[in-house]
Amino acid sequence: MGVLRAMRARPVDVATDPNDPLGDLLRRAGRGDQSAFAELYDALSPLVYGVVLKVVRDPSQAEEVAQEVFVELWRLAARFDGTKGSTKTWAATLAHRRAIDRVRSEQASRVRQDRDVNQTIRDERDVVAAEVESSFDQVRVRRALLQLSELQRDAVELAYFGGHTYREVAVLLDVAEGTVKSRIRDGMIRLRDELGGES
Amino acid sequence: MTDIDVHHLAAAYALDALDDRERTAFEAHYGSCEVCRTDVLEFRHTLTQVADSLVAPPPMSLKDKVMAEVATTRQLSPLVAPVVALDERRRARSLMSMAAAAAAIVMIVVGVVSFRGGDEPDTFAADLARVMEQPDSQVLSLDSQGGAEGTFRVAWSNSLGEAVLMGEDLPTTPDDKAYELWLITPDSSTAMYVLDPAKDGNVHHTLKAAANPSAWAITVEPATGSATATGDIIFVADV
Repeated sequence: MGVLRAMRARPVDVATDPNDPLGDLLRRAGRGDQSAFAELYDALSPLVYGVVLKVVRDPSQAEEVAQEVFVELWRLAARFDGTKGSTKTWAATLAHRRAIDRVRSEQASRVRQDRDVNQTIRDERDVVAAEVESSFDQVRVRRALLQLSELQRDAVELAYFGGHTYREVAVLLDVAEGTVKSRIRDGMIRLRDELGGES
Repeated sequence: MTDIDVHHLAAAYALDALDDRERTAFEAHYGSCEVCRTDVLEFRHTLTQVADSLVAPPPMSLKDKVMAEVATTRQLSPLVAPVVALDERRRARSLMSMAAAAAAIVMIVVGVVSFRGGDEPDTFAADLARVMEQPDSQVLSLDSQGGAEGTFRVAWSNSLGEAVLMGEDLPTTPDDKAYELWLITPDSSTAMYVLDPAKDGNVHHTLKAAANPSAWAITVEPATGSATATGDIIFVADV
């Protein structure tokens, strides 16, 4: 108990970590500070909602999932481990994971329909192309993705944006699972090198 | 699945492109693999930049919903001071909870069958991969009882006769105590144990599991072992 009191009594004079500008807000939220969490929401909600919407597609479901993500960030705030990446990376990771959980459980509860595989791929490519806009981040990411081979890019996009497992991606692209696994790996390494350390 | 395959799953893991089995196998592996951990951190950082290109304005109503739920949601405590917490929990709970959970099953230890420690992460990963590859393999997350901290998962294959135990984010047990795994069968004649104090918060073991389990349970016992369970069941799952 003494430790807890000492922690609370400590003045908030922690310098902002340039690698994690939101870390201080998260630490305050972890101590139950709801106004700090509201600020964190303002900073992260376009990212969280954007990731979830991209995967889930349906805006009302995306809103539900985004709400789950924020409540989980609140619950777990005190357990955040800064050695595993920034607050923003944590939020983006959790948002994507929860969006994936939603689409996979939806898929499992539905009767699978026979789909034209090639049509599916064309649809997903069209969506990606239609979303190229002028913002700096979008241009930078788009340019980096274009440095990947076509198969690398398709595999990474179908997994991250489409929410498919690599085995499902293999079926969609009609290539061997091992090939998809290595294209995903090569693609992510290439993307990492293209995008560098900025965030 | 070989060890090399496990290493190569870091990118697919960061993309959430593994199925549940592979995700479990990879998570058990990468905690102890410096290369994979670095890969995952870097890939997640890269994907955060991709995520930045996806930003979209959330509905105005979302913030009010979030803040209303936050106001009535208890936050989890940070992971600290585990030894005292564990002792208090053990005292606080009655032996009745164990009796209820185990019902009429008498748990008898027939002995430590096989025991490989967490100091051999690569061996453990290979063991886990071997078990998960079996067509009859099953994975269970054990349910925490009475607020016990951490997670325990068991993966096993009856055809292979092996089980792997994965405990994570666990409080370290007091010096003379250790976590024990109990395999419970309907005829109540078989149980097994591993003893591990979870010094680094993790418990990773491979065991011979000859019998078809009907339930798995975890208790905290004297480090020297005990013939029957004396501690409360802190994690349990029916098969």
